Amino acid sequence: MRSKLDKILEWVLAVLLGSMTLVVLWGVLTRYAFGSQSSWTDELARFFLIWVGILGAAYASGRNLHIAIDLLPQYLNPKNRRKLEIFIASLVVIFVTAVFIVGGIRYVYISFILGQASAALDISMGYIYLVFPIAGACIIYYRLNDLYHYLSTPNK
Amino acid sequence: MEITILVLAFVILIALRVPVAWSIGISGLLTILISVKTIPALTTVAQRVITGLDSFSLLAIPFFILAGHIMNKGGIAKRLIEFAKALVGSLPGGLAHVNIVAAMLFGAIAGSAGAAAAAIGSFMSDQMEDEGYDKNYGVAVNVTSATTGLLIPPSNIFIIYSLASGGVSIGALFLAGYIPGLLTGFMLMLVAYIWAKKKGYPTAQRSNFRTIAKSFIGAVPSLFLLIVIIGGIVAGIFTATEASSVAVLYCFILAFLYKEIKIKDIKPILVESSATIAIVMLLIAMSIAMSWVMSYENIPQTVTDALLSLSDNKIMVLVLINLILLFVGIFMDMTPAVLIFTPIFLPVVTALGIDPVHFGIIMVLNLCIGLCTPPVGAVLFIGVSVGKTSIQKVIKPLLPLFAAMLVSLILISLFPELSLWLPHFFGF
Repeated sequence: MRSKLDKILEWVLAVLLGSMTLVVLWGVLTRYAFGSQSSWTDELARFFLIWVGILGAAYASGRNLHIAIDLLPQYLNPKNRRKLEIFIASLVVIFVTAVFIVGGIRYVYISFILGQASAALDISMGYIYLVFPIAGACIIYYRLNDLYHYLSTPNK
Repeated sequence: MEITILVLAFVILIALRVPVAWSIGISGLLTILISVKTIPALTTVAQRVITGLDSFSLLAIPFFILAGHIMNKGGIAKRLIEFAKALVGSLPGGLAHVNIVAAMLFGAIAGSAGAAAAAIGSFMSDQMEDEGYDKNYGVAVNVTSATTGLLIPPSNIFIIYSLASGGVSIGALFLAGYIPGLLTGFMLMLVAYIWAKKKGYPTAQRSNFRTIAKSFIGAVPSLFLLIVIIGGIVAGIFTATEASSVAVLYCFILAFLYKEIKIKDIKPILVESSATIAIVMLLIAMSIAMSWVMSYENIPQTVTDALLSLSDNKIMVLVLINLILLFVGIFMDMTPAVLIFTPIFLPVVTALGIDPVHFGIIMVLNLCIGLCTPPVGAVLFIGVSVGKTSIQKVIKPLLPLFAAMLVSLILISLFPELSLWLPHFFGF
């Protein structure tokens, strides 16, 4: 399940980043070859960036790539280190639930209600911001999976 | 009160090994919860995080990262090293000079110091060991010289500074970075020279004109990219974002022609780059939210008043800010440091008549030193891991190189012309 989610995110990210590159290049090309830049390229590229940034953050979180400072854990015994890992994972779950899920869904909801749409493509901004709760759910899944792993392996 | 909670929460979380981006977000959220009701606070933080990423100029960062990843795989680093070898390989302690010059050239093409440390370090460390150099010294040289790439454009951190400062021209910042970047590089070479004399490191034979010419031709396609990017931005043909996307295309075609990457390598490169991009983007998003919390709580104004009440002497305030930033750089990564401290310090220095472009250079060079110090030295970690050694062992050879960077920082703080002459010359 976890590796399946990794695989899915990898494909989505590769496609998003690839398309983002092509879209901006297309914008450059139209500006020089045809004299006038298509108005939608800037906007679409920005949306791709939001998706790559936020969804990629979930992927990086699953692979534990986010930078952390390994100072204190060096001095802890394995038992306390395990406790610390459990504490960190729980803290991340609480923060992400609060900001990505509760705050994120409310912000998406407000964007839909206000009928906020993008200038060039006329996409409702709610769809763009939807990546926020989606990525939040992925991060929570990864951390809960870690927690399950910590709690189900016997304490050495 | 709010400052205390913010700083305390951040320091405790960081020390507990909570990832830096989450630490920034959590401490910002805690602070805003004191004065704003829960649900609106959560929604506003969510809004700040997500709209913080919605910016066309930020788009240059993922493209420079992607171009850097392609360059890493695409044999471009190798050719730059050959060229650097022909240029400075015959100086005493030649390989150290080669590393420094190659890092500056790499920095002139890619936007990040981490990519330079990884690409150049992985080629140089074995060679240096074979020729009898102290391995830890080699890593120390690689790590410090990689940071010159942040001053020599294109540079992602200047794009971030431009964003944080509310629109200082990216073109001006890029031009302003050249002389300070080269100066820092030469300072490091000076240390390498003295070190080689002391340890009796080998001096390679002077390369003849043919080798120089041959290696130069090998490096030309890579160097041409820098003319396209910087020339394009300075002449106003490209925006930084457009230039960065062209850089991706160019690096890709080059790597393809060099037969160093194949179609099946594209997906892994895109995935790896996405992860690197997302790590930076989450830091940016959280820092922007934090920066908003701070301005909501009036923290920049408080700091400005406090600083100006201590002294209204330009030099004194610069010294003070530099000391604070050196301290901050030890504990904080460069991206959040720039995003969080620019809005705090910029009003102070502009009030004293310091040019925002000049201050950007000072800030970045200052924080470069922090990138090479434990416990939070992103470039140090990369350098140590490609050099297969440990942080403890690298500290000693790092010290003289830090001294060189500090001298460079002092010169650049004291003489604004070093930064401003070039952008003024081009009419910025």
